[in-house]
Order: sequence, then structure tokens, then C-alpha cells
Amino acid sequence: MAAVGIRVERLSKRFAHRVKGEVYAVRDVSLRVRPGEFLTLLGPSGCGKTTTLRMIAGFEAPDAGRVFIGEQDVTNLMANRRNIGFVFQNYALFPHLSVFENVAYGLRVQGKASAEVTRAVGDVLALVGLPGYERQLPNQLSGGEQQRVALARAIVIRPRVLLFDEPLSNLDAKLRVHMRREIRELQKRLSITAVYVTHDQEEAMAVSDRIAVMQQGTVVQEGTAEDLYHRPASEFVAQFIGRVNLLAGRVVAATADALEVDVAGHRLRLSRTGAGVAPGGAVRLVVRPEAVELAPAPSGPAPGAPLGVIEGRTFLGEKVDYQVRLGDEVLQVTRYSASPGTGLSPGQPVTVRFPADGVQLLP
Amino acid sequence: MRNLRALRDPALLSTVVVLWALLGLFVLYPLAALLGRIFWEDGQVTTAGLRAILTDPHQIQAVWNSLLLGALVGLAGTALGFLFAVTAARTNLPPPWATVLDAATLLPLVSPPFTAAIAMIFSFGPRGLVTWHLLGIKGYTVYGLGSTFFSETLTYFPLAYLTLKPILAAMDPNVEDMAFSLGSSRWRVFRTVTLPLTVPGLANSVLLLFAASLADFATPLILAGNSFPVLPTQAYLQITGLFDLRGGAVLSLVLLVPAFVVFLLQRFWVSRKYYVTITGKAGARSAIKSVAPWARVVLVGACLLVAAVVVYFYALLFYASIVVALGANHAWTLRHYQVIFTEGLKAIRDTLLIAGVGMPLGGLYGILLGYLVARQRFPGRQTMEVVSMINYALPGTIVGIAYLIAFNDPPIVLTGTAAVIVACYIFRYSPTGIRTTVALLSQIDPSLEEASRGLGAGTGTTFRRVTLPLILPAFFAGLGVVFIRSMTAISATIFLVSINWTLITVRILENMTELALGPAAAFSVLVVAIVFAVIAAISALLRQFRARGAVAVTSLLGG
Repeated sequence: MAAVGIRVERLSKRFAHRVKGEVYAVRDVSLRVRPGEFLTLLGPSGCGKTTTLRMIAGFEAPDAGRVFIGEQDVTNLMANRRNIGFVFQNYALFPHLSVFENVAYGLRVQGKASAEVTRAVGDVLALVGLPGYERQLPNQLSGGEQQRVALARAIVIRPRVLLFDEPLSNLDAKLRVHMRREIRELQKRLSITAVYVTHDQEEAMAVSDRIAVMQQGTVVQEGTAEDLYHRPASEFVAQFIGRVNLLAGRVVAATADALEVDVAGHRLRLSRTGAGVAPGGAVRLVVRPEAVELAPAPSGPAPGAPLGVIEGRTFLGEKVDYQVRLGDEVLQVTRYSASPGTGLSPGQPVTVRFPADGVQLLP
Repeated sequence: MRNLRALRDPALLSTVVVLWALLGLFVLYPLAALLGRIFWEDGQVTTAGLRAILTDPHQIQAVWNSLLLGALVGLAGTALGFLFAVTAARTNLPPPWATVLDAATLLPLVSPPFTAAIAMIFSFGPRGLVTWHLLGIKGYTVYGLGSTFFSETLTYFPLAYLTLKPILAAMDPNVEDMAFSLGSSRWRVFRTVTLPLTVPGLANSVLLLFAASLADFATPLILAGNSFPVLPTQAYLQITGLFDLRGGAVLSLVLLVPAFVVFLLQRFWVSRKYYVTITGKAGARSAIKSVAPWARVVLVGACLLVAAVVVYFYALLFYASIVVALGANHAWTLRHYQVIFTEGLKAIRDTLLIAGVGMPLGGLYGILLGYLVARQRFPGRQTMEVVSMINYALPGTIVGIAYLIAFNDPPIVLTGTAAVIVACYIFRYSPTGIRTTVALLSQIDPSLEEASRGLGAGTGTTFRRVTLPLILPAFFAGLGVVFIRSMTAISATIFLVSINWTLITVRILENMTELALGPAAAFSVLVVAIVFAVIAAISALLRQFRARGAVAVTSLLGG
């Protein structure tokens, strides 16, 4: 079966809040998932990502907007008519049914012949790495195994789309990393369109083709992991994806293709990205910790490079985190460890350089 | 508008319509008929019937008597229940002793409500074992407030125990440990921590027992005598003695006023006062040390004393059933059993038939309604839940009289049939099944049903294949309660029995008034035996289903 896309048009969902009155869980969300694409809805809790996913699945009815799966408008279709595979955060395995019956459930609903059911369940259990588990009950399985059964149950009916609601949040850190790779490989192998909800930015970056970052019921930015990391459209996205230094600056001079910005009393020359920055205007600079270059300060004067002082140092194995005071600001700086004994120590004066291609301007 | 969306589902729509029709016929219509009989005469509204009763000093006395009795039973029963609850939850009793406590409280709960009253007559009656034989007191009258109060307290204190024990047991011992660590003495911890946290439970228990005593019909009928009239017996005598249906209806309505006040207090006052005593992550359960060794001895001793009285009552009942005449001729005989299995056979057969038919229907009704109100969205959902609880909340006397009035005349004549008794039991005792279903469903994540829908199953298939197997324990608990109550209840159905259909409990009362004490005792023993057998069978079924990964049902008798 050829993969189909998902289209969400101006979807909204309100609910009554005891204190705030009527609030929007989801407001005017439009999304387009290409056939075979893996899209992740990423955001903090309460941002509306799960509600959006549940409206795509048909578990919630939208107050406004439409949902299309393929070219079919499914807005008014009940979940059982949408042909979806859904993986729940708590797996939602039927506790009274064996692994076999859990996985066979959707096939039996479709009225498949028993030989076909047996074969399909066997195949899919082998696919998720659980051959021979047919007769176990869900409560006899580990978290990772339950996760696989939930996955098998969702894909055995050959759904048009796969929907994941924070499927890994109940697993321990190591298993999470392992399972997200498996999910991604399975999705590619089946070439099935997937929408995935998580609040874990690292997980989102690891599994997705594209990520839609949500905040307070709306999508604030969409793009690949690289886009979001290197070109965040807002302070919120910059802070939500990875660690970041947000520095206040003032535009000193602007030419057609370059800007001169004053940061903590130091001049930076940056290539110009957007319009609307005039000399004298305030801007914020996004600098990732690993983009900042530190060097031990020379004993003489160091023209051009601002001077900072190491305030703190945290050794984290493959990298070292530094807190560097620069004027009024404290910068987070990451350096990957070279060899034991090297590095900078607290109290040491350093020169701080921001390479122009590692700095992003926010208006 | 979103509610109406759900009604496009034909399975859901037809179930809702059928349930509303049944609730209308067997809950709302009888109540309307009762009110109509009281306030409607010759095409106009009248309060004449109400006035006639409320100006009669004898009836006013009954009102005050009922309130007094209820208050006394509420307080004393709660005290007794609290004693048992503290002993069970705070003295680290070894399991066999805990079982003894539970058994002593279970016996009165599952017996016909007047079993204790019968044993009282055996002990303290005109020829009572204790008064006449042991103490040699001649001419002692057992009838009146004292014995009614004693008997009802013993009958209803298990309700207080069931209410209070979970509250004490759920209280995090760390809270008490904290008070100890701040330097409190044991007594101070009890007084300043344990007791205040239990106060809402105590208040609830007093209200519960007050309502139970108010509605109790059989105990005062046997024990209160002429000097101490109470409302339910007055209503009964008004109807069966004076054939004054309207007077009986008015008296039962008067009964409704305090019952309603109790309901409001429970709903809007007590329920808001409950504390959540388990906070945060459950740490290691610390051993309970809030009861001093000497206090432990006192508590256990007091409980054993009460348990001994209960056991004595039941032993006496059994003894009375196998001797010729208790108090006069103590020769062994099986004659009484012979009597109940010949002359009384019809009552036994009728009761078992009615209970047997009502049981599966009540169980099914309970889980269907519980499922609908807990999991589906449709117009009138909350109203349906409230209406389904009405007959359960009302004193049985009101329900019985309402059914009598409603189904005696056209358009719907059911008087004299088994159907009216079965319907009465189903709509009066299924709310336990409804509550259990709702409670079970609240522990079952809705994502299970969503998973089923996501896999293509409709509402019907989802209910049948996922929800039903998971709430099956509620089905068994629900039908168990309907069966047990069908075997033991009397307050409502005494108005509904006829020549064609009678009940064991009614025969027991008749035997008591005819002073045929032997057969009354034999009937009571039979009922207790059947009920225990059914409880054992259902408990076994519940254990069976718990093993299949479903949520456990803790009590057959909760609610």
C-alpha cells in the first residue's frame, strides 16, 4: 500500500478551565505530513501536542478545522473508521488478553480468517523481536516488551498512518534510546506516514524527518532538526531545542549584508539575516554553547576579542561545561575534552570569541 | 451538540432509550404515583391527607421516636464501629484474629435485618433464656426503645466499621510517626492527629447509621411494641391494619424528610471534609506503634466481647431451630426444618426463584448503567445516574408503598405478580453494581477503549471484548448483592407479597407474630446458610477473575 499524507487545517479545540474559563488547548493548527514522512510534535506539557494527535486519531472531536488522511476528509469519522495505528504512552494493552490476542485484536475486528490472523500475528511479533511471546499476559512483560507489543498491535492491521503519543516516556533512559531507533527503522521499513508526540527534544531530533514545535496551542516553528537548532525563529524555540546563550545586543551599524552589534561592550560583525534591524535597535543573539570559542587570555592586551573569566567548570566525560562571566552575562560554554589535564580552570581569564556563523540574531 | 454526536451510534442510542424507559417505569412513575395519591384528590391539589396525619399526636410521637432511635443508633453504632476499626487497623492483630473481627461484622451484614431482633426475643422475651431462666426475672418486657436500640446497633455497627476501617488503614503511618518524632505521647497523637483525620468518616458513619435505623422496619415491628411506635411500622400498620393507603403514603413521605436531610448533609458537607492522607510517593510502610500494649488489650477485649454477643445470638438462633421449644422443651428435633420444607416450601421456592431471576438481570442492569454513565457522553447522563440511585437511597417503606400504589391500578397492573417484586429488588439493590462498575472503570484507563476503537472496533465490540471482561468483577459483585438482598430484605417487599408470591422474610415475620419461634429460627438459619454459600461462590469467582489481570473488587457489601 502506498503511503498517504496527513493534512490538518486550522484545527482548534477549546475546553472549560476551572479558573481561566474557556481556553484553547489547540488553536488554529495547520500541518502537512508528506507520505512516508515522520513528523514530530514537540513541546512542553500542556502545549496542545497530544490533543492535536488525538484529534488526528479521532479520539477528540475538534471545535473547528478539518483533518485529512490521504485525500479523505476524516473530520467527522469515528476513530474506528479511520484506519490508524495508535501507540499510547501507557501502551493500553488489554490486561485480560494474551500477547497473541492483543495483537490479533484489530484483525479479528476486521473479520480475518483465523489462519491468516495466526500468520500475521506471528510475522509481526517476529518483526518487533518478540517471537514466542504469544501466550504471555501483558503484566508478565517488561516495559520494553510491552512497548513492542503495543507497536505490533498498531502495525499488524496495516494502518494508513501511525500515531505515537509519548510512547517512550515510561522506559528507562538506555531503553529509550534503543527503542527510538527501532521505531524509526520500522517506520522506514514499512514506509508508513507517522506523527509522533514527545516533550523530549533529543528524542524528537533522533527520530524525525521534520519537527513541529508547539507552544500554548499553536505551532511556532516547523522544520528539520538542523533548521530548528541553527535557525530558531523565537527565543522559545531556541531555548527549547538544546542549550543556548541568549545575549542582549544593540545594533551599532547596518549595511546591506552585514551588521555590527554591541554585546556587553564588545563589537561583533555578523552577516545580516533578516530585515527590520536598524541602527540603535535592540536585538537578541542566540549562541549555542559549543559555538563559543575560549582561549587562555594572553598576558598582554588582546585587541578584538572580549575578555571573560571562568566561573565554574563541570566535567561530564566526553565534554566539559564552563560558566564564563562576560560583563553582566554568564555564558554557558561546552568544550569537548581533548586529553586529561588540559582545559581551563576557575578564576582563569579567557578570551571569548563568537564565530559569525555560530551566532543567530533574533529581533 | 457534541453530546448528540454520540447518539448516532445505534447500539448506544437504543441502550439509553431502554434504560430510560425502565427507570421511568420503575423509579419515577411509582414516586409520582405516591405523591399523586397524597396531594391529588378529585382533580385538585390537597393537603388534607397530610394534615390528618400530622395533627395526630400518636403519629407525631412516631416521628420523634424515629428520630430519637436513629440518633441513638447512629452514635452508638459509630462508636462500636470505630472501636472495631481502630482495633483492626491499629493493633497489628495477627491474621486469624483479624478474621474473627471481620466474621463478627459480616454476620449481621448478610443476615436478614431482624435476625438480632429474633435472638433478642429468645434471650430477653417473655420466656427468654437470659431473663426468665438465667436471672429468674418474671414479667420483664423486652419491647420498647431499649431493646430496639440495642438490636439495631448490633445490626448496623458493621456499616460503621466498613466506613471507618479503610480510612484508618489508608492513613499514612508516617503522619503518626511524624507526630511521635515531634515529641507527642501516644494519646496525644491519637487525639491531635488520628482522630481529627477520622472526623469526616465518623460524621459520615453517624449519618449512614441514622438513615439505616430510620428505614429499618423489621426490628421495630418485632421489638418496639405498642409503647414505642416508629414511622415505618406505623406506615405498615396504617396500610395493612386500617387499609388506609393514603395515610401510609403520608407517613412514608414524612420518613423521606430526615432521609433527604441526611442525604444533603452527606453530599454537600461530609464529602468535602475528607482529607487525603496519602501524599507524595509511598515510602516504606512503618510499623504502627500508636496503640500502647495495655490499650491494645482493652481494645481487643472489647471487640471480642461484642463479637461474643454476635456469635451468641447466631448460635442461639441455630439452637432454637433444633429444639422443640426454646425456653420450654429443649429436646432435639428436626421438626421445624420439616415444617419449613413442607408448609414453608412455597416461600422458599418463591424467594429462590425471585432472587434467581433478579440476580442476572440486576447484575446486567448494574454494569450497563454504570458503563454508560462512567464512559459514554449523551444528553441526560448525570440525571440518569441520579435517578438510578433514588430507590436505593429511599427508605424501603417508601419504595414499597410507592410500588403498591403505582402498580395496583391500571394502566399498569403488576400487584400480585413476581415481576413487581423482582423489579423492586433490581432497581433498589443494583446501585451497588453500578457504583462498583463506575469505581472499576475509573481505575481502567480510557486509553484501553481508545486502543480498541483505533483498531477499528465500534462501541458494541469494544464494550463486549474489552470493557466487559474487565468489569466482570463488578457484574458478580452486583448480582451478588441483588441476590443477597432478595433473600434478606423485607421493608419494601412486605407491601408487594401476595397469595401467589411470598418471601421467606415475610414468613419469618408472620411466624414471629404467631409465636411460631421454631420455624422462624429454622427459616433464618436457612437464609443465613444460603447467603453464605452464595458469598463463598461469588468470592471464588472474583478471585478467579482477579487472577486474569483485572482490577480487584474489595467488598461485596460496599455501598
